Amino acid sequence: MTDAALEQVPVTVLTGYLGAGKTTLLNRILSENHGRKYAVVINEFGELGVDNDLVVDTDEEVFEMNNGCICCTVRGDLIRIIGGLMKRRGRFDGIIIETTGLANPAPVAQTFFVDDTVRARTRLDAVVTVVDAKFLLPRLEDSHEAADQIAFADVIVLNKTDLVTPDELVAVEAAIRKINRFAKIHHAQRANVPIAELLDQGAFDLKRVLAEHPDFLGEDEHEHNDDVGSVSFEVETPIDPERFNAWMGALLAERGGDLLRTKGILAYAGEDRRFAFQAVHMMADGDFIGPWKAGEARTSRLVFIGRNLNRPQLRRGFESCRAG
Amino acid sequence: MSATVTADHILETRGVSHELGDFVVAAAFARGGATAAFALGDGTLRIAPRAGGDWRAVDVHDGAALALAPDAGPDTYLSGGDDGKFRRVGEAAADIAGFGMKWVEHVASFADAKTRLLACSVGRQVHLFDGAGKKLKVLEHPSSVTGVVFDSKGKRVAASHYNGASLWFVAAKTDSARKLEWKGSHTGIAISPNGESVVTAMQENALHGWRLTDGQHMRMTGYPGKTQALGFTRSGKWLATSGAEAIVLWPFFGGGPMGKAPTELAGGDGVICTFVAAHPQHEAVAAGFSDGLVVLADIGTARILPVCGPGRGPVSALAWSADGAHLAFGTETGFAALVDFSRQ
Repeated sequence: MTDAALEQVPVTVLTGYLGAGKTTLLNRILSENHGRKYAVVINEFGELGVDNDLVVDTDEEVFEMNNGCICCTVRGDLIRIIGGLMKRRGRFDGIIIETTGLANPAPVAQTFFVDDTVRARTRLDAVVTVVDAKFLLPRLEDSHEAADQIAFADVIVLNKTDLVTPDELVAVEAAIRKINRFAKIHHAQRANVPIAELLDQGAFDLKRVLAEHPDFLGEDEHEHNDDVGSVSFEVETPIDPERFNAWMGALLAERGGDLLRTKGILAYAGEDRRFAFQAVHMMADGDFIGPWKAGEARTSRLVFIGRNLNRPQLRRGFESCRAG
Repeated sequence: MSATVTADHILETRGVSHELGDFVVAAAFARGGATAAFALGDGTLRIAPRAGGDWRAVDVHDGAALALAPDAGPDTYLSGGDDGKFRRVGEAAADIAGFGMKWVEHVASFADAKTRLLACSVGRQVHLFDGAGKKLKVLEHPSSVTGVVFDSKGKRVAASHYNGASLWFVAAKTDSARKLEWKGSHTGIAISPNGESVVTAMQENALHGWRLTDGQHMRMTGYPGKTQALGFTRSGKWLATSGAEAIVLWPFFGGGPMGKAPTELAGGDGVICTFVAAHPQHEAVAAGFSDGLVVLADIGTARILPVCGPGRGPVSALAWSADGAHLAFGTETGFAALVDFSRQ
């Protein structure tokens, strides 16, 4: 088998509330000359102005897995479409999946954990969320989905910044940071972000995200309510994989409904490679990635984004996974 | 002389093969039996004469081919693609129907002395046509259709989808489906030759069946992977399936499959069986594996005949000629072969 056939195709999930500018961004990706070809899976074809043979029109079909886990919902249409696209692998460099404006991003992300073929052939590169600078604050008031879309994001395009005052922009950015301190934010007008900054980012490589946010352990405003927030922890002592799996398994089983995204880089005792861990609600996945650099501090880091995060309890849990 | 017979012996002595360079999506034989065809990820059909000679390429789809079946007529094929086209392919390709941006994901046909029928699925719809390609009706389903099959008499057509399957009478004046319900995502479908059982493959690495006579549910579980191919043997006694590290055969006799263990053949190597095709005449099944191995397994004696050794890509397509003399198979990496099992 050739290397090209084995190489995993990067997938970008594009979310954003109605009218935020997703379609403008997609039209740019499809029409600009950036030297890459993307297969684009959309559900509101009428809005796209570009004729392209790599655009796939679908109806979002979410179903529950029969695995006794009520929050384990996946996109059945994506499993079929990714299977179909793999039959002409080599005709495109990556896949972009647009979700409808009101969509909860969890099913699309969970699809990449559940299906063996999808897992083998593709990798979730990043969740990109387009946000309307002018209307985000009222949206956060009246819809759960707007907060969920920000919570899931690896990259946020803060669009229409020309329609707000500098003070309003500061307030909007603070609202985003309160939900998700770890996403990379790009300011934009008419979705004019360089395409290269959005696609094929390897944003699930948490190390890169952490490197860009050295202050990520800053104290958060913690609230015991329904607001989405984020917390993170570091442990200097190596982690015992069995203890970590037992703790995380129980935590996700019990609290998975509230935990939108969990990501971590772990230093396992006696292991020279970094272990990357991620979860969406109750669905978890992990793999060894590159080795720790010589002289690099082998610090394990864990990030939770979700509702009702109990910081002391999560910290104690993570610290109980230390080896020895 | 060496007495060693390699796993490629049958391929080398009785086969014709080509590296076609693109994913082999499906294989089929024309109803008249003169040719085999391979549908490829580059949108072409490669047509191979059974009597020997060059394989011919026909440009069919602007994109990937997704589905292939023999046409109701003797010499041509039906092809569906991600360009939204349902096409008839002979010397060249001609449209039967077009569906814009939607993919044509499944195609099927039926032919006997009186009736000729064609079907294709597009999103939630199954479109039925007569043998000439004239649209007869459109059957609507609650979610995307993942498999379409006619029964052995051409009276009914069944489609799998989320939360079950739908069974339709082709000639009904007013269309209403018999709904076969079971929660979950059903990803493929088969009907037993006697028309009494419908079986679907499921996302959760299992099969689900309905006995139509009494509504009995049948659950067949234990697969490590998804079942991509399933089909009954000619007698209807066995349901052959892929998705395990062996060919898994469920007994549909003596009260089975409920409460019966399946028969497993050609296992033991820890390699997933990716495709199966039951022999059209005998109680035997051809199977392909993820390492490229293709075997012919005799169910009664459990004898395994290697057809093609590993190393040419995961097997993604298998088909028998109606007389059972020729086997066509292809792989994800573009290897395709036509093997002659007739007495020589």
